Amino acid sequence: MTWLVWRQYRWQAAIAALLLAAFAAVLIVTGLRMASQWHSLLTTCTNSSACGTVSLGSTLGQDLVVLSLAVPVILGFLWGAPLVAHELETGTVNFAWAQSVTKARWLTVKAGWLLLAAAIWGGAVAALVTWWSGPRNAFYSDQFQPNYFDQQGIVPIGYAVFATALGIAAGALVRRTLVAIAVTIGGFIGVRLMISQFLRAHYMPAVTAYYNPLSGYSPPGSAWVLSTGVVDKYGHVFSGGSGPEVNGVPVSAIPAHCRSMLFTDPTTLSKDKLHQATSCMQASGFRGFSTYQPAYHYWPFQGIETGIYLALAAAALAVTFLIVRYRDA
Amino acid sequence: MSAVIETHELSKRYRRVTALSDCSVTVPESRICALIGPNGAGKTTLLRLLAGLARPTGGAVCVLGGAPRQDPAFLAEIGYLAQEIPLYRRLTAEDHIRAGAHLNPRWDAVSVRTRLADLNIPLDRAVGTLSGGQRAQVALALTLAKRPRLLLLDEPVAALDPLARRHFLGSLTAAVAESGGELTVVLSSHLIADLERVCDHIILLTESRVQLCGDIETLLSEHKVLVGPRKDTSALERTHTVVHAVRTARQSTLLVRVGGPVFDPAYEASDVDLEELVLGYMGASAAPALAHLTAVGEEQ
Repeated sequence: MTWLVWRQYRWQAAIAALLLAAFAAVLIVTGLRMASQWHSLLTTCTNSSACGTVSLGSTLGQDLVVLSLAVPVILGFLWGAPLVAHELETGTVNFAWAQSVTKARWLTVKAGWLLLAAAIWGGAVAALVTWWSGPRNAFYSDQFQPNYFDQQGIVPIGYAVFATALGIAAGALVRRTLVAIAVTIGGFIGVRLMISQFLRAHYMPAVTAYYNPLSGYSPPGSAWVLSTGVVDKYGHVFSGGSGPEVNGVPVSAIPAHCRSMLFTDPTTLSKDKLHQATSCMQASGFRGFSTYQPAYHYWPFQGIETGIYLALAAAALAVTFLIVRYRDA
Repeated sequence: MSAVIETHELSKRYRRVTALSDCSVTVPESRICALIGPNGAGKTTLLRLLAGLARPTGGAVCVLGGAPRQDPAFLAEIGYLAQEIPLYRRLTAEDHIRAGAHLNPRWDAVSVRTRLADLNIPLDRAVGTLSGGQRAQVALALTLAKRPRLLLLDEPVAALDPLARRHFLGSLTAAVAESGGELTVVLSSHLIADLERVCDHIILLTESRVQLCGDIETLLSEHKVLVGPRKDTSALERTHTVVHAVRTARQSTLLVRVGGPVFDPAYEASDVDLEELVLGYMGASAAPALAHLTAVGEEQ
């Protein structure tokens, strides 16, 4: 079986290797330049706030890195969707199944190699992106933020394996390559959005820090801030965004004795008065808060998300096996 | 002589349609069996059940002494060639030969190369660029290279021109002769003429049911065509079975399964050929639709 799979896919494998080499070349060139830029910056400042207007990166490299988000879905529709569907459409399953090979073995070997190839390819891209992003991560500390989290580390391997498995299952289910491609793209993007928008923030309990609204606060390292705002002593949360407000608290919610400090002279509102009123609010029990996933949750999150996608891939493959084994026609 | 294929009330239902019902057939060893029936009669379903590619929903099936199953040892004994001539269009015949060597415990690569060389079919061209007849020959040669004990061919000549048909069937009979009685063949077609010259056994399927199964010579000797005046046939039916009758205003043409000598001098009895037999049974199962095809002219 392995020999036949290799014979069927060797050209695709060669093209995939070439594309990967080109991708690597661009990222290595731009990555090395960015690294030297970073080292020269280290002599003057240590992070983006200390460096003011300096920015780090390369447009070409950045574009490619953003494109790497599409790698899993491309693997899904180029390798996954046709794996069963195209052979059903052209009838070539009946060549393989007419040899001394069971349907289950045919699927195991074929899907096994393609999933391995997808994992290696997706993993290689992710490794390059992770290496390339090293200086950026140190500079901006944003690798835990949505979209950056999704490009680096091990999650792209999970995405690649899942997208490929989803394509295989869709192909076995609908038996038409084009329909399977559409299902794969739609299904993969849907699952990705659901998980990154609604599920990811809850993998582990978030940490909430309270602070003096005067001083402000930012969590240490590359934490992922989920929400910030102000809470009063009764536990009312103010996140801003509605009408006139002071430090995110609507003017109407400010205690009267603090509010009066703001408007002794209704035409002017000086910085000094604002400061006074804020101190007054703090004395009345107003506190700033920041809810975030701390930086040390980064690798656990990577592991959990990869695990979820591998589990989804396993489910898709189980469905495929059942379909191939038990559907006769 | 033992039976290579034996089915008992074999049935296959898909969600809504019955593809095969109560199919009981026997095919002895070293036969070339024609599986004949109109399109949609259940020929492909029967072949796939025999090949272990589908599972029955009712009845029993025994192939080479066991139930067909997804098991390498069983699959190695079966040469199944699907209707669409399944080959990877971009791979060459040589690629297929090497793939087969990896996928089968027994593999006679030499025989394929010799066979294709005799037919002047290039081994190094993508099979998609070969003609339909050449592709069918490549597929047959590959199927035979497994050295199967049972060869199941699903409409192998349907897409071929008459000359390619002749070559294909010639290759098939040669392969059976070479096997020295080890090989049993079932090949399906909706055309009797294709198979008449090479087959010695027949299964006739119409509308998912078996109409006829047996040795062709025996079946032919058991049937007569009676031509006589149009009259009541109840006397005749006491000893013979009327399979199919075509009646015009003056005359009846009856296909009967004879139970003894025909004494009625009113009828002129003649031997049947395979085509008359098959059309008679097909006509009997789908009386109005086929009757006017078999009886040309003035039917009532």
